[in-house]
Amino acid sequence: MNKEWLTMALAKGRMLPPTLELLERAGIGLGQLREKTRKLVFSLDDVGMRFIMAKPADIPTYVEYGVADMGIVGKDVLLEQEREIYELLDLKIGHCRLVVAKKTGSGLFTGGYVATKFPRSTERYFQQTGRQVEVIKLHGSVELAPLLGLADVIVDLVSTGRTLKENNLEEAETVAHITSRLVANPGSYQMKGARVSWLAGLLEQAAEGEKENAESI
Amino acid sequence: MSDKNRRLMTPDGVRDLLPGTAGRKRQVENRVLETFSLFGYREVATPAIEYSSTFTGEMNGDLEGKLYRFPDERGRTMALRPDFTFPLARLAATHLAGEALPLRLCYGGSVWRYATGQQGRQREIAQAGVELIGSGSIAADAEVVALAVESLLAAGLSEFTVCLGHVGFLQTLLCAHGVTKEAAERVKAYFNRKDFVSLKEYVATLAVSDRSRRCLLGVTALRGGRGVLDEAAALLSAGTERDSLDRLEETWLMLEEFGVSRFITFDLGLVRSLDYYTGMVFEGYTAGLGFPVLGGGRYDRLLGLFGRDLPAVGFGLNLDHLLTVLERRGVFGVTEALVFVSYSAGGRAGAMAEARRLRREGRPVILDVAARTREEALAEARNRGAGEVIHCTAGGRWTGNE
Repeated sequence: MNKEWLTMALAKGRMLPPTLELLERAGIGLGQLREKTRKLVFSLDDVGMRFIMAKPADIPTYVEYGVADMGIVGKDVLLEQEREIYELLDLKIGHCRLVVAKKTGSGLFTGGYVATKFPRSTERYFQQTGRQVEVIKLHGSVELAPLLGLADVIVDLVSTGRTLKENNLEEAETVAHITSRLVANPGSYQMKGARVSWLAGLLEQAAEGEKENAESI
Repeated sequence: MSDKNRRLMTPDGVRDLLPGTAGRKRQVENRVLETFSLFGYREVATPAIEYSSTFTGEMNGDLEGKLYRFPDERGRTMALRPDFTFPLARLAATHLAGEALPLRLCYGGSVWRYATGQQGRQREIAQAGVELIGSGSIAADAEVVALAVESLLAAGLSEFTVCLGHVGFLQTLLCAHGVTKEAAERVKAYFNRKDFVSLKEYVATLAVSDRSRRCLLGVTALRGGRGVLDEAAALLSAGTERDSLDRLEETWLMLEEFGVSRFITFDLGLVRSLDYYTGMVFEGYTAGLGFPVLGGGRYDRLLGLFGRDLPAVGFGLNLDHLLTVLERRGVFGVTEALVFVSYSAGGRAGAMAEARRLRREGRPVILDVAARTREEALAEARNRGAGEVIHCTAGGRWTGNE
């Protein structure tokens, strides 16, 4: 195998454990990452790979500017940033949905105020569905906005829907189905073509295996 | 923001080039344009301002939303040129209509486009490029690709890839598998963005056979050396015309003869975003840069828009990207050492003669603007990073090296 180094950006936080599991299934063991550590760069000499730990929202930046050849990042981040990077693979981990949620029992939302951490995706979605909205950007605890009268609805990520329920909110519309994606920098995609295909192939097999497991449950 | 604050700033997406960078940029541009002229391409310059109708129309949907437009004094819509291909097509169809074909033209200069998406994107882009107009031959395709390679080498880049594709291949494949025109456009758009996730999802919804689906998705793997062309041929069923692959094969053979094939790879999923390409397309990439440094291809229908139906092929090189990469790799040598010539009372005439002599030899010289002592002159020379000091007095001349 050609040992050209590949640098990959991984998301710290909630998505790290399933990402590591997937890499492990693909034959890339990153045991050292499971330990609590503050190190942000790891190397795996045997497969010629380097890993950078980054905030999810920064991964497209690292990849676009070429400091990382590839990255694993949620579709929510990609939708929000619209970067010029290649989206090679749906890794089928980190399933959740970007949804419009309203106060339980309230009527159909036809326009008004929307609170969200995803202003661009939100703006685009309501434009496409022909509704006029004012988007209010928040950085967290978006569920508060309808309760306090700051917004009529929110656009946020949900996986089980428990947080919504606890805050007396319900899902009204699905904006997008979200999973983690394998992304690549166009330069690396061409310059390290064989290596990129090698890794994409391994991850695709691992991801397909995962899907079968999920379906058999 | 007040006008007073704004006076000190440049608008979004444009920048000042400071001492050092500006000189290096000119150096890169010169090397590239020299290479063009070594291949017999003649430089032309076109105005920065044109009628916007030069650039708008059915073949330029992609640039439409990025055009800087403004009214002139009579209310006509003008545009800052967003590329050179259209103005050069205009030249070929008008001033140069009487010249022998094919025309070999080149250019270097800025283009302006409203950046979409990210903040901080440059809106003024320095480009240099060539157009070979009036030949539809494979030799013309190969010449332009070879020139792209040679100009990157001349600029000082050593590790890069020029990937070749052909818009006709995907077109033929989509047609052969019975994909509708509308669906084909969508598939091509996904290939252009290399959004393989959406591609896979979309292909799954098409009313075609499973084999066809596998063939369409198989194009994503058609990257690499010459063998890719055989793999590609296997996706086309017998009897389908394979003109695009034959042309690429022939182009490859010629690029071997040009001695540049080690820089060439194939990517049959390569679809350039501009609507006007009709044949071979290519992009140049280098490690550590996410954007192509150059891009081009064959556009046989564009000249027709200007009333002269001629085949053409060309490419444009992004000098800003190229400069960034070259600066990072440190390929620029140290510049010729600066000489600081100073004088004290009575030494001025001698200093001037000294400066004149050195400049004739091609040495850069700073001649001091006031008389000062030798110690002051030394300090001044140090501040300016001069490598050598010559201090002239009424009695003679003192030389020192920093």
